Amino acid sequence: MERPAGIFDIRYEQDMAFVRTGPQWACLTGFLFLLALLPLFAGSYFLGFMILTGIALIAVLGLNILTGYAGQISLGHQAFVAVGAYTTAVLMDSFHWSFWATVPLAGIAAAAVGVLFGLPSFRLKMLYLAMSTLAAQFIIIAFFNHAFPDYFRAVGGIRVNRPELAGIDFRNNEAFYYVVIVITVLMTFFAKNLVRCRLGRAFVALRDNDLASEVIGINVAKYKLYAFAIGCFYAGIAGSLWATYYRSVNPLHFHLEVSIWYLGCLIVGGMGTVVGAVFGVLFLRTMKEIVVIVSPILGELVSPIDAPKIGPALGVISWALVVILFLIFEPRGLAHTWEMLKSRFRHWPFKYAL
Amino acid sequence: MSIFLQFIIGGMFLGGMYTLIALGIVIIYKSTRVFNFAQGWMVTLGAFMLVTLIGKFGVVVGVIAGLAFGVLLGMVIERLFMRPMIGQPLIAALLLTIMLAHVIEGINILTWGSIGYDLPLKLPGQSIKLGGVVISHALLWGIGVAVAAFVAFSFFYWRTLMGRVMRATAEDHQVAQSLGLPVKGVFSLSWVLAGLLSVIAGIFLGVVSGVHYLMYTALLGAIPVVLLGGIDSIAGAIVGGMILGVLQSLVAGYLNSALTEVVPYIVLLLILVIKPYGLFGLVRIERL
Repeated sequence: MERPAGIFDIRYEQDMAFVRTGPQWACLTGFLFLLALLPLFAGSYFLGFMILTGIALIAVLGLNILTGYAGQISLGHQAFVAVGAYTTAVLMDSFHWSFWATVPLAGIAAAAVGVLFGLPSFRLKMLYLAMSTLAAQFIIIAFFNHAFPDYFRAVGGIRVNRPELAGIDFRNNEAFYYVVIVITVLMTFFAKNLVRCRLGRAFVALRDNDLASEVIGINVAKYKLYAFAIGCFYAGIAGSLWATYYRSVNPLHFHLEVSIWYLGCLIVGGMGTVVGAVFGVLFLRTMKEIVVIVSPILGELVSPIDAPKIGPALGVISWALVVILFLIFEPRGLAHTWEMLKSRFRHWPFKYAL
Repeated sequence: MSIFLQFIIGGMFLGGMYTLIALGIVIIYKSTRVFNFAQGWMVTLGAFMLVTLIGKFGVVVGVIAGLAFGVLLGMVIERLFMRPMIGQPLIAALLLTIMLAHVIEGINILTWGSIGYDLPLKLPGQSIKLGGVVISHALLWGIGVAVAAFVAFSFFYWRTLMGRVMRATAEDHQVAQSLGLPVKGVFSLSWVLAGLLSVIAGIFLGVVSGVHYLMYTALLGAIPVVLLGGIDSIAGAIVGGMILGVLQSLVAGYLNSALTEVVPYIVLLLILVIKPYGLFGLVRIERL
């Protein structure tokens, strides 16, 4: 890896460190402070945006481990988010559990379902595996829609209350923001660390060439299931927060389109980099909000009959088209652009270094 | 017994629909090795376009204009989106068609909104009654078109030069290009054929069930059909379509109707686990 000029690693700890230089420390602490102080000056709308971005980021980080690092394409990630959401909702609604106890359980439940639907990956890869996860998407959602109406409440959905802890009421966005942001930061840190350890390196080897990685002693079947378990654990945590943020769970929330939107975030950001997942989610979430703001303005320009069509249509076209443009012109995503930018900055005024 | 037969006939009808969509996917896969996820959405767009064109120009001109639109649609998609994907990883092309599906969905909503339309078109002929079982003439038309397409495409792929070029391109884009084969032309032609097929499928679907932008949810059932029959097998598209259509109809009739929507995906999962290359697909063996 490239270092800023004058920085040399002389000990192994330095070589492995997350944060290397003073300015990096300053940026990191500054950013975390900014996140922590945000509710003081941001409105409720912006906090809602940040909460949804955080939830989407957790889900996309999971998909990044599964698809970006381990190379197992999943078209059904939102179904695993649904498993987490339903776990939290049912445990709180029917069994009166505390929210805090359901969060890890939601992750574990989603991981278990993910491993179950990851079993076909022993025999399948690429296109065929993608299709089996597509099947997972429809089967899981239909299960919640039709099975056990006493618990899952079919189309009506389940109402979920926001939690309380030590006298703090998490019903307003300011308090709930901290729950989401703390979990998001922890999960991002965990993801970043995971992909540097033995497990993450095995995933990358698996993605690049599964036959070769089998030869050098990686148990391909086992690591594929690990990838499914970890990726879906993330999805489950995201689902748990999703359920409590929206205060209701409904099979209609967990549409195929959202699964594909997660994949779109990965493509825009750049598959197989943690920073890419962050960039991708921020980019597409921001675009979604812009569409929400712009479409009523555009709606006034056309006839009143056409006006209600613009919002949903633009909402779909905008992100899908952006993802297509990234696939064609910058398949390595924003993460690559960011690296190029940094490298350009470091080598200035030279065009390139050795 | 006659109810059972009626379910079978209804299932064959559904299977015919699946087959027509599946054929579009199979043709693109067979000639370019790209899996076209967007075929169901293209069919919806074709059907919507037919509604508008027939409403404007009458039946005969409308249908011809619709078919021309199908050709144009295929060409535009190929030129704008698929050509940069030649030689790229196949998974990138798959992701691109998935995103393309959503662009088409947005266009459908933007142009036609979320209301349903009827296709003002009647297929010639009348439904036949055979001992208590009503066989719709639309079914006979659907099966007829599917079989005709099967014969035509089988001949095309196995006997004509262009068909062979297409199969060679599917093996490896770069090698085909190095051998001087017209890879761009193959991409273009296969997408034009798929566009044409999507409009033809749109005619039948529109006549039978009307057109709505959510139609793709039912049409996604064509993806299990493709994988059941074998992703590169034209006969597989027909056999798979019929098996799945009849199965779905029987489940709806005799078991829980809630199960109907997941039957294709349960079949898909089973076939992927048991026989990943489908009933008639070419088995590609990977060894060290």
